[in-house]
Amino acid sequence: MGPWYAVLTVVLLAVMLFSARVGAVRFTWEEMWQSPIFWNLRLPRIILSVLVGAALSVCGAAYQSIFRNPLTDPYVLGISSGASLGAAVAILLGLQTFLLGVGACALATGILTILIIYRIASIGNRMHATTLLLTGVCLTFLISAVISFLMVLHQDKMDSIIFWTMGSFASASWVDVAFVAPVVVAGTAVVVYYGRDLNLLLAGSETAKSLGVEVEKVKKRLLLVTTLMVAFCVSTCGVIGFVGLVVPHCIRLVAGPDNRRVVPLAVLVGGTFLLLCDTLARTLMIPAELPVGCLTALVGAPLFIYLLYKNKKTY
Amino acid sequence: MIEVKNLTYRYGTRPVLEGLNFTIEEGGFYAVMGANGSGKTTLLRLVSGMLTPQEGEVVVDGTNVQHYKARELAQRMSFVRQHPQTDFEFSAFETVLMGRNPYQRHLQNESERDWKIVEQCMRQTNTWHLRFARPSEMSGGELQRVMLARALAQQTPIMLLDEPISNLDISHQFDILDLLRTINREEHKTVLIVLHDLNMALQYCQKLLLLHQGQVLYKGDMREGLTAERIATVFGVKAEVGEEGSIRLSRL
Repeated sequence: MGPWYAVLTVVLLAVMLFSARVGAVRFTWEEMWQSPIFWNLRLPRIILSVLVGAALSVCGAAYQSIFRNPLTDPYVLGISSGASLGAAVAILLGLQTFLLGVGACALATGILTILIIYRIASIGNRMHATTLLLTGVCLTFLISAVISFLMVLHQDKMDSIIFWTMGSFASASWVDVAFVAPVVVAGTAVVVYYGRDLNLLLAGSETAKSLGVEVEKVKKRLLLVTTLMVAFCVSTCGVIGFVGLVVPHCIRLVAGPDNRRVVPLAVLVGGTFLLLCDTLARTLMIPAELPVGCLTALVGAPLFIYLLYKNKKTY
Repeated sequence: MIEVKNLTYRYGTRPVLEGLNFTIEEGGFYAVMGANGSGKTTLLRLVSGMLTPQEGEVVVDGTNVQHYKARELAQRMSFVRQHPQTDFEFSAFETVLMGRNPYQRHLQNESERDWKIVEQCMRQTNTWHLRFARPSEMSGGELQRVMLARALAQQTPIMLLDEPISNLDISHQFDILDLLRTINREEHKTVLIVLHDLNMALQYCQKLLLLHQGQVLYKGDMREGLTAERIATVFGVKAEVGEEGSIRLSRL
């Protein structure tokens, strides 16, 4: 696997360099290093999108193993939306200048969402696949209704809330990067640490336990860590869907299902994928910008439908 | 040694096992038998620590199974379940390699020794030729043998097997039971195996644990225990037990 990591790292760096040069303002190499647009706007945006893409992909891979369902990711499960509700409430409370406050609110509602999903979809110690997905979809509907309601009540803050529901890196700053980076790095390290346990969880809770996994402890830790990652990402860039579905799935097609490979590869591939999507989002229709969530959904939703079709018998 | 003390388990209000007391000595080869719904699977899940009993306890080597760390328990006891769950497509080799998990630390990769053990276990269960196969490419019987290989790779002194030969053709049934008998004799492993075939049980297992209506109807030597009356009580069929150790069954 060694060469793969090297190749994918080079690809990621190349896409970062490419992305830095293109946009509403195009740079030559010399101009780029001297431009404040590069240093203050473009570079933090590039790094943030790589971090968020990596985080969402790692979380997607983890959720797919924990819930034993290849169709789950932070968005489909409703966890991203759940976190966005907390973020929206935080803005209404006037906390937006204080990122940790927004992050904490997003984390709280994200965890609440997971608890609701767990309550509804678990039958004994199994998660029912269809119920799990339906619960996620319904929670997303419910939450977007609540957010719409909040928006009507507070029309003055509509712009900053709408941003949370559609997903965008347009306002990315170094503060956002400093806020998200430690959580993403530490969270990914935890998921990598439990890589083999994730594999065993795929065989079912009881089997995993009989093979030496402290199932409840591992699940709780991983759910907490991944929800923290999602909540912090959502706090800076809003809800971006399907990244956690598309990326691990593509990796498994090539590298197989072993999470000890899937998770580290998800960092590189996920970062590259979301950076490419964001670069397209800001360059396709200059001077206008597309919401990046729109592009990821254009890729992700058809894949989701294809997976549903392929697994028709099981779901 | 497995000590079962006053073990009681209910699904909702329906009692499945009521106040069971018995001891399984080290190196015993027990067939766990009984009619459908007599609590065989529940008993194995309780012994393996998967289920928590409402009353009583299971003590393995002096410690309540509920108090073991998962890793320690997985080094003492392996469990082959009746219905293996396989949603994601790990190859048979990767599946068996998971049996080495209790001996590995986090972030530690499998050693050459682990690989050798896996190969040996797969050869013993006649699954080595399937090592690259995915679950969807295997038959029920092949999958069952892969699961058995995984349990063997755990190298535990106690093995619990819930109907491990139900999907196997007759020749593989003999192979697997021969293998279990060999490791029971040579490595002195304790084996608890749920079987439905009375003749197979009589032929292979020295000991019998017979469950009936949530109680232990008999525990002890197989040949003494498997009488026509008990078979009639438990299964409701007529049995003629022959001198040479075979059983002819017919309707009552």
